[in-house]
Amino acid sequence: MKPFIIAKDLVHEYSRRDEDGNVTDIKRALDGIDMEVSAGDFIAVLGANGSGKSTFAKHLNALLTPTEGTLLVDGMDTSDHDNDLDVRCVAGMVFQNPDNQIISNVVEEDVGFGPENMGVPTEKIWERVEESLKNVGMYKYRKMSPNHLSGGQKQRVAIAGVMAMRPKCIILDEPTAMLDPVGRRAVIDTVTELNKKENITVILITHYMEEVTGADYVFVMNDGKVSMQGTPRQIFARSEELKEYRLTIPEVTKIALHLRKMGIELPKDILNEEELVKALIELKNF
Amino acid sequence: MFIVVLSLIELEINMIRDITIGQYYQTESVIHKLDSRVKIIATLVYIISLFCFNNFSGYILAALFFLCIVKLSKVPFKFIVKGLKPIMFMLIFTAALNLLWTPGEHILFEAGVIVITLEGIKKMAFMALRLIFLIIGSSLMTLTTTPNQLTDAIEHLLRLLNYIKVPVHEVAMMMSIALRFIPILIEETDKIMKAQLARGADFESGNIIHRIKSMIPILIPLFVSAARRANDLALAMDSRCYHGGRGRTKMKPLKYKSCDFIAYFILLCYIVLLIIIRKFVPF
Repeated sequence: MKPFIIAKDLVHEYSRRDEDGNVTDIKRALDGIDMEVSAGDFIAVLGANGSGKSTFAKHLNALLTPTEGTLLVDGMDTSDHDNDLDVRCVAGMVFQNPDNQIISNVVEEDVGFGPENMGVPTEKIWERVEESLKNVGMYKYRKMSPNHLSGGQKQRVAIAGVMAMRPKCIILDEPTAMLDPVGRRAVIDTVTELNKKENITVILITHYMEEVTGADYVFVMNDGKVSMQGTPRQIFARSEELKEYRLTIPEVTKIALHLRKMGIELPKDILNEEELVKALIELKNF
Repeated sequence: MFIVVLSLIELEINMIRDITIGQYYQTESVIHKLDSRVKIIATLVYIISLFCFNNFSGYILAALFFLCIVKLSKVPFKFIVKGLKPIMFMLIFTAALNLLWTPGEHILFEAGVIVITLEGIKKMAFMALRLIFLIIGSSLMTLTTTPNQLTDAIEHLLRLLNYIKVPVHEVAMMMSIALRFIPILIEETDKIMKAQLARGADFESGNIIHRIKSMIPILIPLFVSAARRANDLALAMDSRCYHGGRGRTKMKPLKYKSCDFIAYFILLCYIVLLIIIRKFVPF
């Protein structure tokens, strides 16, 4: 099967122009990205501020187009502007700030916004809105104003808004950066469930290592390049390298690491509390 | 002192957050269920009709018609009268002007430049009644119609302007987005004010020019953030396939139901009655 997303030597440059339109400054935000994502995967893209991960996300949604190289989303070349709407229907995007991406005063109308734009018939819009609100567990809030919801709830509404467009893939650009821990958990759980149940390809862009543990595959970005890739276990085992890229491993992994340094025989790739507890119990039984 | 100011702002903000523009009054009634286009047209007709009477029987008709609709709408009367508060000053001012400076034959009272005539009293009463009915009539419309329904109806009613290249859909979209962002920007203003207060800004003392000047540290961050939000929102709309009104379907299309036609019929009856009264009732 052909991969869902293929990036080849993807380069993006932001250029600053003076008043006469002459380029004064060029910043290379993406510097030769090669990436392949197959349909149905849960992919995480990790990176510190300024690593180019948000620029990459915008490329997947055809909001930005490559300066050099190619990016194919579901077989469509994003540099062709005739494909813009089709790419956006296939790969929906959720942004960081929950307030700035909700368009309507009523939750259900906001979820219906995407389908309305796509020209879906009225009855079908209602079906989709109902289904996607139920999928993210926000159905009982459908008549409310988004202003009365918490950040996490708003973000789930935004996810429902994307889901109502029936995309094959959701791109989440730091969806939890402005949320409290409870909202963060709810958003990540929702996304994980969509990935498992609806088989939606998820591309989660984040700098929180804790959110990456559930991913199938992780790309670490630094300075516009993919500097590491692998399963979460493989990535977390290389904590020294991560530190170089200004990323910190989850608390649990850190504790396990320190314990290892103190001479306790623990595996190198502990991801969550349960694994740590299990490993410790096993040690005790020896 | 500082704490008091802060808590006052807090209170105000909490109130503002709950107020929707136009102050929609949520309840189930026939008037609430009417198509918003009917309500807009009826309100316009009603306002125009107010300026067609020149006798008291006409105002009795207007009042009766209005009271029936209020009864049907289940909106408490005091809510509707509240709409008069902001124009109280203007009302009294116009009434006084009309009362004092209408020339006429039947002079009731005269003292220097002040002359009160019978015609003056009549004109004052008409003017006041017109203004009052105008305001409470239109506030009844906004009390029974959500802002979204209003913008939808305006888009629909003005769609003919599309032919002369007026971007009706875009304007309506802007209106509804503005409505969505009003509470957010109010909250933002509150945050900025608190931040500036915490750094020793003073919005309370000084003369009017000083006070206006002290607003600058609030306005500039507010504009910057509004521009940033607009940029984000534009991206979000783009990414959800927004490409203008072309090929767009509606989740909640406007459709006339039988009760809407009945409402139009009642409106027609009102106009006919109005003409009869104007023609045949002398006072």
